[in-house]
Amino acid sequence: MSAILKAVNLTKRFPGVIANEDVNFELRVGEVHCLFGENGAGKSTLSSCLFGFYQPEGGHIEINGEVANFKSPRDAIHMGVGMVHQHFVLVSEFSVLENIVVGTHESGWRLNLADARQRVAGLCAEYSIDLDIDARVGDLAVGQQQWVEILKALYLDAKVLILDEPSAVLTPEEALRLFRIIDHMKELGLSILLISHKMVEVMKADRVTVLRKGKVVGTVRPADVTPNELTRMMVGRDVELRMVRDRSDDAGREHETVLNVENVSYRNSRGKLALDNVSLHIAKGEILGLAGVSGNGQKELFEILSGVLIPDSGNLSLDGERIEGLPSRHYMDRGVGMVPDDRFREGLIPEFNIRENMILGWQRHDDYTNGIFLDQKQIGTIADGLIDEFQIATPSGATPVNHLSGGNAQKVILAREFVHSSKLLLANQPTRGLDLGVIEYVYKQIISKREDGYAVLLASEELEDLLNLSDRIAVMSGGRITGIVDPQTTSIEEIGLLMAGGKQDQAA
Amino acid sequence: MTSSSLEAQPVQKSKLKIERRVNPKASWTLAMYLLAIIFGFALTALLLMTSGADVLKAFTALFKGAFGSPKAIYSTLAKSTPLILTGLATVVAFRAQVWSIGQEGQVYAGAMGAYFGCLVFLGLPVWIYLPVVVLSGMIGGALLGGLAAYLKDRFDVNEIISTVMMNYLIVFLLSYLIGGGPWTEVSTTVVYQQTEPVPEASHLPFLVAKSKLHIGFIIALVSALVCYVLLEKTPLGYEIRAMGFNPIALAYRGTNIGRTTILVMMISGAIAGLAGVAEIFGTTHRLRADTLYNLGYTGIIIGMIGGLRPLGTVVAGIAFGGLASGALYMKLLAQVPSALVPAMQGIMLLTFLCAAVAARYKLVRTKSDG
Repeated sequence: MSAILKAVNLTKRFPGVIANEDVNFELRVGEVHCLFGENGAGKSTLSSCLFGFYQPEGGHIEINGEVANFKSPRDAIHMGVGMVHQHFVLVSEFSVLENIVVGTHESGWRLNLADARQRVAGLCAEYSIDLDIDARVGDLAVGQQQWVEILKALYLDAKVLILDEPSAVLTPEEALRLFRIIDHMKELGLSILLISHKMVEVMKADRVTVLRKGKVVGTVRPADVTPNELTRMMVGRDVELRMVRDRSDDAGREHETVLNVENVSYRNSRGKLALDNVSLHIAKGEILGLAGVSGNGQKELFEILSGVLIPDSGNLSLDGERIEGLPSRHYMDRGVGMVPDDRFREGLIPEFNIRENMILGWQRHDDYTNGIFLDQKQIGTIADGLIDEFQIATPSGATPVNHLSGGNAQKVILAREFVHSSKLLLANQPTRGLDLGVIEYVYKQIISKREDGYAVLLASEELEDLLNLSDRIAVMSGGRITGIVDPQTTSIEEIGLLMAGGKQDQAA
Repeated sequence: MTSSSLEAQPVQKSKLKIERRVNPKASWTLAMYLLAIIFGFALTALLLMTSGADVLKAFTALFKGAFGSPKAIYSTLAKSTPLILTGLATVVAFRAQVWSIGQEGQVYAGAMGAYFGCLVFLGLPVWIYLPVVVLSGMIGGALLGGLAAYLKDRFDVNEIISTVMMNYLIVFLLSYLIGGGPWTEVSTTVVYQQTEPVPEASHLPFLVAKSKLHIGFIIALVSALVCYVLLEKTPLGYEIRAMGFNPIALAYRGTNIGRTTILVMMISGAIAGLAGVAEIFGTTHRLRADTLYNLGYTGIIIGMIGGLRPLGTVVAGIAFGGLASGALYMKLLAQVPSALVPAMQGIMLLTFLCAAVAARYKLVRTKSDG
């Protein structure tokens, strides 16, 4: 079979990061090809290059053996490449038909809906897509909206269809249907590039290309490998030099439970069950690692544990006191510290200076006020002390935090949360995007809190770090805890399988 | 292709590029604002020419009417009083990124609250009567503002829509009350839309005898000072500013955004209400709709030109007071249609908004990267 779409030595850099380096990849006519890799491995960057959304700095793209120079997605569409993004681009007030036709530039000045209707109906029949093309898109379920996106690409004569994590928003039944129709499309000669990190879907593809840290690890046929081998390729064979916690005191640990979570469920605003009957507990002086591909409920779990979200059902107790439903203020007052994963959006006021950010959430506390006024002098003294203690590199405490590097900004959050909390630390991806030196510093601080007797919940995409630091590791997938493992006896393969949905129904 | 539209033509091997400033310099900002004034006047001059007026004569008359004599200055400051207050109301709301357009309605609500107060509390000793009247006005404005915030918090009603709608509602309510309703003046034979004159004891004292300048101007200055202290020195001000920049992080760290929004809108409403009080009890001395018209909307322009800062708002308010006061002179002496004054205000707003954006960028000369 010949290659319809090919990337040759493709390199794409973003400021400070190499998102794709010397990537060679080919999509053959009539195959389902899966791009597999962790978050940040470069899957989305590669597909965005193939769709003309990004322009590569090195290498090139070939279509049917000819060099294609995509300046924008419009060029890619013109050459028969269609893409369905994770986040749909639809006008909810328009009908299905209108959404498909609008913006195609074929209609000219006058919209010829009659012809379009015939073609769209024809496409639906050809690919056995069951959809009312006159329905208002806003009234459709998410799964059906995805069909509209796919029809948009087919309407523009796509020969190559790029699907970016298409099942992420689907229910299991909808996903099954999607994959049946993907198979059908393949039989009709379409070539499909599927981005996924779900093992079940990956194993269904004809070929899999595994990406890690922007590079191609290899292209294999799922029939020739085991899921374990694929996971290994994804996570990486070579163990990097990482923080290792001294485990000599593990045996004599206290077992007093600080946080107890029982059967917590939460449905998000789009109606998806983000947390499905989650139960876990964390003891005093214990680090509970939380593994999982991001977007599998970790964020919602952290938000519920810090009082930002209120669970639909289930119990939370902190030191024996029931706290579900209380506003986040109460969690803070009871000694819960939170390091959110999106630090500039959720943890800091970027335009405020370091001193002001050090008291975020505590601006009404007696320590920082003098009568009805903020006690600027006291705030300055305390904040500047923290700047020294946490080695934050800054000209002064009056520097706005949006002038700081990611690592220093993270240290501002750590300093604030450490100093104002007393028993529970929630750290969601505290090292994401930081360089090695800072990562080590952050972990050292978290370990010191463990030694102080904190209960710590630590989520990370770096499995090695979780293995090295945690007392136990909980794995999340699809809003459920798919397993709780002992880092001393488990393997990356076991965790990888649990992350991909793995053995279900394991007791937490 | 698209990026080159921002760049000047390459001169030899270097080109000019526009870059965002990390730290806007005060001197550069000031220069941009000066440029805005010059541009504003130049555009206004063009407008005056199209109307066939003598530009030089018109501008001379404008300045004379605004700042040419002590009397002119008093009149300017009197006219600036409600504008500074509605400007401050805008500052408090917009700094929290609560997009209230309700200052207009809150001015009416303030005037009505104070008028109600002056009827109810008539007979109290003067030293307590006047403060109570002023306070009633503030409560009137605060209630209207608080209502919009409550709707936003409880039912997620967009504050822009609700405040604009309430502006209409409150004007109609006032029209009813003074155009046939219980507050309508009965003593004259002709029915105007106005009340009886308010009791003398409720008049805001004049600062300068035989001028229009009343104590409301001092109230406006004190309000500006209070706004500054509130925003910069108190925990609530911290929350207001933080909410304007990043409400998500603020909510993550335990501040109730809905409650803060309600407080912000009540404070903003109370200040806008003061503008209504100042105009009715300092200038017209009876409640009527026409003198309150547009004070709130102009306040939005003033707050924006003032850079959403209390001090800047005072300066912008006085400038606009001068514009209003000089416009009469300009109309009389240079036969300029008075409709050009709001047009001038609009032009000034646009040039100042451009200047505010320009102040955040700089031109840099870079080596061409081929």
